Amino acid sequence: MNDQVLIDKINEGLKDKVVSITNPAPRRLFLKVTADNLLTVVGWLKHELGITHLSTISGLDLGQSFELLYHFANNCCALTLRTEIPREQPVLPSICEIIPGAILYERELQDMFGINVQNIPDGRPLLLPDDWPAGNYPLRKDWQYERPPEVIPGGKS
Amino acid sequence: MSFQIPIGPQHPALKEPIGVRVTVDGEIIREADLRLGYNHRGVEKLAEQKTWTQNIYLMERICGICSHSHATCYVQGVEKLMEIEPPKRGLYIRILVSELERVHSHLLWLGVAGHEAGFDSFFMYVWRDREIVMDILETISGNRVHYAINAIGGVRRDLDELQIKHILDSLEVLRQRSTYYQKLGTTEPSFVARLAGVGYLSREDAIELCAVGPTLRASGVPMDVRKDDPYAVYDEVPFEVCTADSCDVLGRTVVRIKELLQSYNIIEFLLKNLPTGPISVRAPRRAKPNEVISRYEAPRGENIHYIKSNGSDKPERLKVRAPTLANYAATIKMLKNGFIADVPLIFAAIDPCICCAERSVAIVDARTAQERIVTMSSLRELSLKTAKHQTRKREAEWPL
Repeated sequence: MNDQVLIDKINEGLKDKVVSITNPAPRRLFLKVTADNLLTVVGWLKHELGITHLSTISGLDLGQSFELLYHFANNCCALTLRTEIPREQPVLPSICEIIPGAILYERELQDMFGINVQNIPDGRPLLLPDDWPAGNYPLRKDWQYERPPEVIPGGKS
Repeated sequence: MSFQIPIGPQHPALKEPIGVRVTVDGEIIREADLRLGYNHRGVEKLAEQKTWTQNIYLMERICGICSHSHATCYVQGVEKLMEIEPPKRGLYIRILVSELERVHSHLLWLGVAGHEAGFDSFFMYVWRDREIVMDILETISGNRVHYAINAIGGVRRDLDELQIKHILDSLEVLRQRSTYYQKLGTTEPSFVARLAGVGYLSREDAIELCAVGPTLRASGVPMDVRKDDPYAVYDEVPFEVCTADSCDVLGRTVVRIKELLQSYNIIEFLLKNLPTGPISVRAPRRAKPNEVISRYEAPRGENIHYIKSNGSDKPERLKVRAPTLANYAATIKMLKNGFIADVPLIFAAIDPCICCAERSVAIVDARTAQERIVTMSSLRELSLKTAKHQTRKREAEWPL
């Protein structure tokens, strides 16, 4: 199965569910989908094409919106689903029901970007400390780290 | 009442600070829960503030054992963004170091597996031989751990005839010893008995939970980025993908030993077919706005970097997913319904090493769900206190 065969199959099977397909390099496919169609497309990829390996989910802060990239892979191609959600309402459906291995990546997204992943089986914080102040999402572009003032216990600070 | 045993995050035997909390029912683990982030360093955020070249050194410091794999994964992505093609000789040396790194990482793991299984002489033999490959790496790069051999556009150091001869000679020793370990590790009855059946992960579960590397291959799935998505020069190098069907720690041992032998063949091939010419090309300072997905087969499995550039000399976004993270979901599955005594072995089998449980126990009251941490000594006092008024053993009736 090479890239062109895969593109043809996707065009045929998903039709209008996919906004665009690009193939910038050999063995690299980028599919743009809307967030509403995400679950359908992931399910179709799993059941029809047998693409079950999710490498990771990357989040990107585009300013007005967040872009999510779901990096899938099979034995011939690395396929990336790209979807965008507005910054004001960062809500995303969980794909854990279809791909159970996505849980850690979705929890990471919640921590790092403050994206609300709906129907996530386990939504506790994963990476940030327990006393992390609410509303701070480190990988958003407008978040800056400020080192807390150093206090010397018992001494002049 | 169920007991929860916290393992980590900080523990003398842990190389990676990770917190696991296992709920036990007697000796059997019913539930396992993971808490990451104790040592979260914010590398992805930091990388956005560093230049392309500075990031090579940052990426190299993500991991101590597979330092070369992150640096290579990053560098080959950036080369695509900058639209430069490193020379053949540079790529050969880069892959040579990455295979030597795989050898040293697998030998290290094999020793740890022997140690966890209580086979300490095996551990010492293997680690003695690991020094051979560490010496090779030192002669090539000048360093034992952070090789710093990668540059954008090639590698930083060349090989000469003497070095090649030294590597080939040492390789013969390593090959001989590894064949012996293969025989020992797969036929020694007590060692095999300790490893077989521990940490079972079925083929279906391994695929469902997106496991990678030797963990996945030991469940019978022949997935290897070097074969599936050949980067650098892997499309020219003959090698086999090693798998096992036993789905347990024994299978993972077999896969790693087989991979060792494959790596020796790859190294020999690379050295005997080393092309002449330059080792690197000059890289521009900036990269055009673009994005790239770079995949790499690290000793622990698939390593993936997503790099996005915005036209400046710094990345817009650099996403790193190390192979160990991908294997955590599968590890939870392996731990469930296993024994407490198998925790170190199962954890060691995915390659981070977590040894014995901490000497404090968290007790969850089943009625109030309140949790408290008690020390082993106060637990002992508690047990003495409650046992005081109970019927003595010889008067008690055997319940079965």
